This record gives sequence, structure tokens and C-alpha cells, in this order.
Amino acid sequence: MQKEKTVSSFTIPIGPQHPALKEPGHFLITVDGEIVTKTVVRLGYAHRGIERALEERNYVQCMYLLERICGICSHIHATAYCHAVEQLAGVEVPPRAQAIRLLVAELERIHSHFLWLGVAAHEAGFDTLFMYSWRDRETVMDLLENMTGNRVNYSANLLGGVKFDVDDALEGEILKGLEFLEERTHHYLDVVKTDIMFLQRTSGIGVMTRRQAEVLGAVGPTARASGVARDIRVEAPYGAYVEHPVNIILEQDGDLRARFIVRLRELFESYRLIREVLETLPAGELVGRVPRRIKASETVSRVEAPRGELFYFVKSNGSDKPERVKVRTPTICNMLSVIKLAVGHQLADIPMILTGIDPCFSCNDRSVQIRSGDNLQVLTWEQLRQFGA
Amino acid sequence: MTKTEEALALASDMMENWAWETITVRPEPNRLDATLKSTDDLIPIVVALRVKRLGYLSAITGLDLGVEAGELEVLYHFCAAAAVITLRLRLPREAPVVPSLSEIIPSAEAFERELREMFGVEISGLKTPERLYLPDDWPEGVYPLRKDFDPSVLQ
Amino acid sequence: MDILRSFFAILIFPGGLCLLFVSLIYEWVDRKLLAQLQNRIGPRWFQPFADVIKLLAKEEVVPEGVDAGLFVGLPILALAGGLTAALYVPLFGLVPIYNFPGDLIVTLYLLSLLTLCMGLAGSNTLDRFSLVGATRTLTQLFSYEAPFLLALLGPAILTGSWQISDILAYTNSHWLLLTQPLGFLIAIIGLMGKLELPPFDAPEAETEIVAGALTEYSGRGLALFRLGKGVELLVGLTLIAAFYLGGVTNPVFFLLKTLLLLLIMVGVQSLMTRLRIDQTVGLWWRYGVLAVFVQWLGIIVLKGVLL
Repeated sequence: MQKEKTVSSFTIPIGPQHPALKEPGHFLITVDGEIVTKTVVRLGYAHRGIERALEERNYVQCMYLLERICGICSHIHATAYCHAVEQLAGVEVPPRAQAIRLLVAELERIHSHFLWLGVAAHEAGFDTLFMYSWRDRETVMDLLENMTGNRVNYSANLLGGVKFDVDDALEGEILKGLEFLEERTHHYLDVVKTDIMFLQRTSGIGVMTRRQAEVLGAVGPTARASGVARDIRVEAPYGAYVEHPVNIILEQDGDLRARFIVRLRELFESYRLIREVLETLPAGELVGRVPRRIKASETVSRVEAPRGELFYFVKSNGSDKPERVKVRTPTICNMLSVIKLAVGHQLADIPMILTGIDPCFSCNDRSVQIRSGDNLQVLTWEQLRQFGA
Repeated sequence: MTKTEEALALASDMMENWAWETITVRPEPNRLDATLKSTDDLIPIVVALRVKRLGYLSAITGLDLGVEAGELEVLYHFCAAAAVITLRLRLPREAPVVPSLSEIIPSAEAFERELREMFGVEISGLKTPERLYLPDDWPEGVYPLRKDFDPSVLQ
Repeated sequence: MDILRSFFAILIFPGGLCLLFVSLIYEWVDRKLLAQLQNRIGPRWFQPFADVIKLLAKEEVVPEGVDAGLFVGLPILALAGGLTAALYVPLFGLVPIYNFPGDLIVTLYLLSLLTLCMGLAGSNTLDRFSLVGATRTLTQLFSYEAPFLLALLGPAILTGSWQISDILAYTNSHWLLLTQPLGFLIAIIGLMGKLELPPFDAPEAETEIVAGALTEYSGRGLALFRLGKGVELLVGLTLIAAFYLGGVTNPVFFLLKTLLLLLIMVGVQSLMTRLRIDQTVGLWWRYGVLAVFVQWLGIIVLKGVLL
């Protein structure tokens, strides 16, 4: 561990193991008293070598691996990948499947935002809000479990469509759940806008101006809180978003409070979208046929994950395994903004600022090193399989 | 014209008619790929894109075209509305070097660090060349995303 | 005989073991009430006991580079301070075991001893989280201590004595809550600051600095610090109940009044976000001190007019 202690500055490592971080990441923060003067980021603690592993698996196997890049945004990763492969293969996905994909994506967004609300409140020390919002999140997780069988990692997509259908009973449950959640969201929005002590921890903290957001390449709710209108669902609609347009939610202040408000207001938009889709769910099949071998080509697929723009670049080579799959997750874009913003703030604000971008370290890291004592072992895939067998 | 079409038209014009030589292709309706002739053109083109406020740098992808081909390719993806404008550069496998964009676009730093450690592409002018994802004791000269990566080297 | 009685009183009842036992029960009440307010279930009644027993059974890791004597001795000192302070307050509604002129000041000092020990313990290590935590503990000590002390000395001014039993003679029949409301408010919020309960838990903000000053502590040392905090809670509640809520003349009143105060504290805990350390200091040195001064002015005027 680095022990840099000059007369006035002092480095504090946040991570890789730290209660503030739900996943491992390393931020070396240099402080002068309580004011931060420099931050350096180091990732890779959850690196699993996924991009490499994808090149040795066929397209179907790849999807299962990609879903597990992240627990909270698993469906959107699968959706982005399926879009890319369907574009490469020139396959048209049936409208009902597109609509159901949108449904699950929006439910996932709701789940992710509630989770984030709780975590951010916990970072601020507001445990009561944390407990309440996670209790409400159970509603959406129950809905997803009824629909897909899982609370996280829904595995709802197939190449060419979806696996699960929505029947009337499920529709009724979803609408009921949404009613409850909408009422709660109104309450939380109220709390976030007016609770004095909460405002003290969030108002004016971590301000990112519009110019900074554009230059630093921020995406997702972080950018929208600074007034930058970046939302893939609006700019480049994909799937069922073409028939069900989304209103973009913007705030101008760019501070932590604005990020809270943007995410909560996006929840209302999600509720509206889900209701709209359920009303106009087209009849039809659930799956289109995607060939096993995909002709050599390249494509780009961009979708809006709960955290921002998710970018997939897929290159096929005529075989049944992809040549290259490049995944660029939103958190890495926003991470840099955190580093630049942190300087000049107080140490106590760092976890809040970091939480404000809704970091998902799992998404970022995609080789497993097992160290026991002085013994360093690197396991290849075959060895890992033997281990598990 | 929609924003996407505007962006594509402007990018087309820029790539084909301005001071540098590029080979432009439209592989999909919303994509414009421009293969640059040399790495010296990269910075001027990116500056031009920024001056014209054409899109934002969304990702930097590295491709290994194979040991026989002897080349790596680096793709810079700029996105404006639904348009994706990609700048492509071919580099020799032996000593691939590209100039860093981090002076013009700060967010490129993270992408370039990843490119460097995964493919071994040297980024000249990068102020923070430390590893981003790979562990500190990963052996030098071993680039996981190259096609000739052999995991047994790590044992 | 007297010596034996004293030992019994200090070690078994009402001090010592009995005190530790009851303080753990109070800790349970605190945690359970908080959980219920947060729509959770909360721990079962023996959880704090289980925690302490488990901690005592675990290995105590003494980190490198610390002064081992201080490291091991500070928790003992802290708990001893708390237990000693308990000797002078009307614990469980019984008459204080010992009293002498000026024992109010000594008691309050002994209560602060715990915080000082924690601050020292944090500074003792090389771990940067502990250092930041220790700095915050001591900063917070400097901010709430003055208003808290003044608030508890308010009744002393009124009765004109620094001896707890004399003050009790007055407060047992008068509810100072009515005549010194500001003092009561400051006292109870000050107690929350002293115990580092939310919203004043910046010194042990787990999401920023792991566990603050106690990060490096484990096993017996941690158990002793936690017990010390529990004792401090009980002693603090007793003092405030005795001074402001019309005295604790018998165990039933003691239970009722201290639990009422605990309820208020739990309510405040669940309602508020953690304050940053600079916000805490600002709050205390502006509003805390102001409130206490107004209160004292009130007392002095009242005393001049009435008595």
C-alpha cells in the first residue's frame, strides 16, 4: 500500500475493498485536509476477459456470456448484442418480440434506478431512504421474476426474438405494480427536491456544466442532468422505440441533485412507455430465425442502458463464431468525468460524486487471476471447466 | 433533413473533399467508414470534426486482422444522432503507433489506455499510460486481444 | 463491610456487570426501533450480547507500527471511564453510589474520556482511514462538547451547586423540561453527537472511511469500545432524564423516562441524512451555542427574578 504522507497532502485509497464501492475499483485520492487535490482511477478488479472469450464461442453461447457482464443491466447488453447480430444476418425481428424486449428493458431501467436511489441514499448516510427504496424495488423484481423466472439476469432474449410471452394475467400484475411504484416515485421526488438535510448533501455538489459534460464525453443520465440531450432512444431509436417515442428528460443544474431528479423523472417516462406498450402489444410470433453462420461483415449497435449509451461493435467472419465483439459500457465514459470533477471537493463528497454517475464496475471489466499466498495461478478456460466439473 | 442525414452529409463532404486522402464507404445506411491514408491525418481530421461539432467520440475499437495479414486496425467511432462515423487506421503489427487524442478529447484517455494494454498499440503523447484493466503484474509484451495470444504464457 | 459493599456496587450492581447488561439491552432497543421505522424486522433481543461475546472470542490483531501498549490500553481506559461515570448518576432510579462536591464536572469529563480515547486510538495507527476518523472524532468533540456541557450545567446554575445529588434534590420535583426547553433540546442532540449516532456519524461514516477511528480494532479492543459506548448511552440518558424530565426516583420512572428519550433519539436518527463534518461543526457553533446562550440568559434572568 502506498504511504505517501507529505506535510500537507495525504493519499487515501478508496477501493478495491471499501464499503462505499459495491464492486471493486481503485481510486487513489490525494487530499489536503478534507479537500481533494488529485484522483487516479484503476480498474480491472472484476476483469473476466469477456471480449477475448467471445471470440471462441459461437453466437448463441456469446449471448449467454454477454448477459452476465452485469447483473443490473444484463438485458440491455443482450439486446444490444442481438440487435447487432440480427443486423449482420439481415433478420427481421417480429414486432411482438420487439415490444416485449422494450417492456423488459424499461422494467430493468426502473429496477436499476430504484437500486441506484437506495445506494446513493446510503452513501449520503440516509439509510431510511435506502431501506424504503429497496423495499419498493422488490415490486419490480417480483414482476420480472413472474415474467422471466429470474430476479436479475433475465435471459429474456434469443437471437431473433424473445423467449417469454406476456399474457393478460401478467399484464394485470404489471399495471398494478406500476401504480404502486408511481405513487412511491412521486414521494421520492418530493423528498429529493425538498428535504433540507438531503439537499445539503446533494445540492451544488459535483457540478458539471454543460460544456464540461460535452467535452468530457459524459453519457446517460449524468449528461442529461447537465443539459446535454444524449439519449439513444431519442436520437437513434431502435427496436420498438421507433413506434413508441421517448421524451427526453433534461435538467440544467448539473449537480448531484439534478442527477437524482433526472433519474426519478425518467421513471415516470418508463411507466408511461410500459403502459403504452401493454395497450398496443401487437400479436404475432416471438422469434425470427437467425442462421448459424453469419456472413462476413461489421456492424455497430447502440442502445440506451440505464446508465447511458452502450456501444457494441460486432465483426463477423462467415463462421459461427464472431471475429470481434467490442463492448463499450457507459460507466467508463462517465468515470473520467468523475476524476476531473472530484478535484476541489471534500473527501466526504467523493462517494456521492462517484455514486452520482451510477458506476457499474462489472460492466467495465470484462482474465481471472487467483492468488493464494505467494502462489499465482492463471486459469485458462479449460482449466476452469475442470475445476468446476 | 434529419440530424442523422445532416451529420452524414457533412462527414462525407469532409472525408472526401477536404485536404486529406481517405477511402470512404457506406456499409450501412447510418454508417460512414473512412480509412485514413496515414496516422498523420488522424489529429487534423479529429480537430476538424470537433471544430464542426460533428458528434462525440463514442468508442475506440482495436482489431487484429490476423498474423498472416501482419496488420492491426484501429477504429475511432464518432456518433452524431443516429449516424456513426468511423475513422479507420491500418497499422503494422510490429510497431503500431498512433498519436493520442487526449489533448483534444479528454475522454479518449480511457479508451486509449485500454487499446494500448489489449493490443499493444503505442499511443504517442498519452500522459497516463498506466494499465487500466489488466493487473499490475501482467507480463509485458503479452496482449490479450491479439489473435496470437497464448494463455499458457501466463502460467 | 463498607468496602465490600462498595465493591459490590461498583462491580455487580448497579454498576459493573448489571450496567453492562442493561446497556446492551438498550442497544437492542435502539436497533430494533430503528429497524421497525425503516420497515425492516431488526435483530432479536440477544443480538448485542451475541456480538460482544463473539468479539471477545475473536483474535485481537495488533497492526504493525502502533504503540502496542496504547493500542491495548485505550479501550480498557475508555470502558473504565464510562463505568466510573456511572457511579455518580442515579442509575436505575437508585441514589448515586458516591457523591462529592463538583462531581457533575467529573462525570461529564469521564464521559468525554471515551471520545478522547477513541480519537487517540485512531491516531495511534498508520491507517489513513483511522487517521481521518480520529480527526473527525476530535473535531466533532470540539463542536458539540461546549453546548452539551453548558446545557447540562444549566440545572446546576439554577440550583447553585455542582453536586449531582444537590441538583437532583431540586429536579426530582421540578420538570426542567418546561422551564429550560432549549437546554433539553441541546442536551439530547448533544448526546447523539457524543455517541456518534446519525446524523452525526461522520466520524464513523462507513461509506467514506470504513469504520473511522476504530477501523483497526478487532476482538477484545473493539468489544470494549462498543461496551463503552453502550455505557455512555445509558449514563447520558440517565443524566438527561434526571435533570430535565423530573428526576428518576425509582426504577419504573427510570425505565419509562430513559426509554422515552431513546425513542426520541431513534426517531431523529431515522429521519435525517448524515451531516458532513464541516456541516456538523457549523451547525453546533452557530445554532447550538446560540441556543445554549439564550437558555442561560433565561436561567439567569429567571433566577434573579424568582429566587
